[in-house]
Amino acid sequence: MIDFTTEQLNRYSRHILLKDVGVEGQVKLGRARVLVVGAGGLGSPAALYLAAAGVGTIGIVDNDQVDISNLQRQIVHGTKDIGRSKVESAAEAMRAINPDVEVRPLATMLCADNIMEIIKDYDFILDGCDNFPTKFLVNDACVMAGIPFSHGGILRFDGQTMTVIPGESACYRCVFRQPPPPDSVPTCSQAGVLGAIAGMLGTIQTAEALKYITGAGRLLTDTLLSFDASNMDFRKVALRRQDDCPVCGARPTITELTDAEQTVCALKK
Amino acid sequence: MEITVNGVAQSIAAAEPDLLSVLKSNKIEDPQMVAVQLNGQFVESSQYAATILSEGDVVEFLYFMGGGSR
Amino acid sequence: MNSEVIINARKDLHGVSCPMNMVYTKVALAELGPGQILEVILDDGPPINNVPGSLKREGHEILRQQQCEDGSWALLIRKSD
Ligand SMILES: [Zn+2]
Repeated sequence: MIDFTTEQLNRYSRHILLKDVGVEGQVKLGRARVLVVGAGGLGSPAALYLAAAGVGTIGIVDNDQVDISNLQRQIVHGTKDIGRSKVESAAEAMRAINPDVEVRPLATMLCADNIMEIIKDYDFILDGCDNFPTKFLVNDACVMAGIPFSHGGILRFDGQTMTVIPGESACYRCVFRQPPPPDSVPTCSQAGVLGAIAGMLGTIQTAEALKYITGAGRLLTDTLLSFDASNMDFRKVALRRQDDCPVCGARPTITELTDAEQTVCALKK
Repeated sequence: MEITVNGVAQSIAAAEPDLLSVLKSNKIEDPQMVAVQLNGQFVESSQYAATILSEGDVVEFLYFMGGGSR
Repeated sequence: MNSEVIINARKDLHGVSCPMNMVYTKVALAELGPGQILEVILDDGPPINNVPGSLKREGHEILRQQQCEDGSWALLIRKSD
């Protein structure tokens, strides 16, 4: 049952020592499959910490290339990677941190046509995408497929995250019914973001993924955690599943996935 | 009257303040930028103007936050 | 005292320092069933000062702790239920 090499016991010793992870938890991590959506600000720390933790299979999906303006916060990429596919660059860094893990780089854009096929191979989805249509798509697809996920968003000095266990806890649409109208909410590329905020939130999301897999602690379910790092204020707001939620409610009105129009930010690049 | 907005006590001068005016006084110009919970229940954006607050109400503005990747 | 205890597994951790001695002890315990008995040999000093407390915090029972002639310690652990 336990076939760790001496090297692996050393590598994972700080997990194994934890009462709530232990040998059993580390075995679970090795068998787990996590998909990271977006190899950007949130996906960077997530990809690195998931790989370091020994999560057996890690998919990472992104269709973008590394740009110099990414490097202020997207720490999985380096200066030498400018112009490369983000998922290839991320995969290389992940394999360098831990050759034990199987990394699956997916250089594609998640859309209504491919998301179900992609997520079905994973136990947990970590959403680090940069736009509302994809955030809602990830929510709806995960609810329909019954796959737990972590929502994350950052802006300026602020971050927010919640963990969703479909059928048990409030989903993203229980809180936010539909994407905001284009341009009513600024994105990072318009408004800016303090680089370390991406690390703060991405690592919270990763901790949730590791907790879900190992069963340790209590998840951020039915809770929206938000922080304002300009004053280091952290808040939790209690949420509850909404009976009239269009996707996880009693009579869902969203029963199939469609692509909302992507809002293209005029200021990008 | 005293209400709590995002965990912080606020004094409101108006006798019968509606949710929309409280949004505006909290610098939320576009009501579609937030989801609003009043005493733990979500309020539809179409109802903001018609929702009158009373003493001790707890209001949460939950902001859309979309950044992450680029 | 406990002379008729059946030891289900033994692990010699001579020369293994903290915290890897605890890691190997946890691996050995994970291979046992609830209530089974593991004997580990630990060095004097930090190992014997740390490992028994860590095991107790995880809910295991220390049945016996005995110093050997070479100064190392034999620790008899009953795995938690
Ligand atoms: Zn829902």
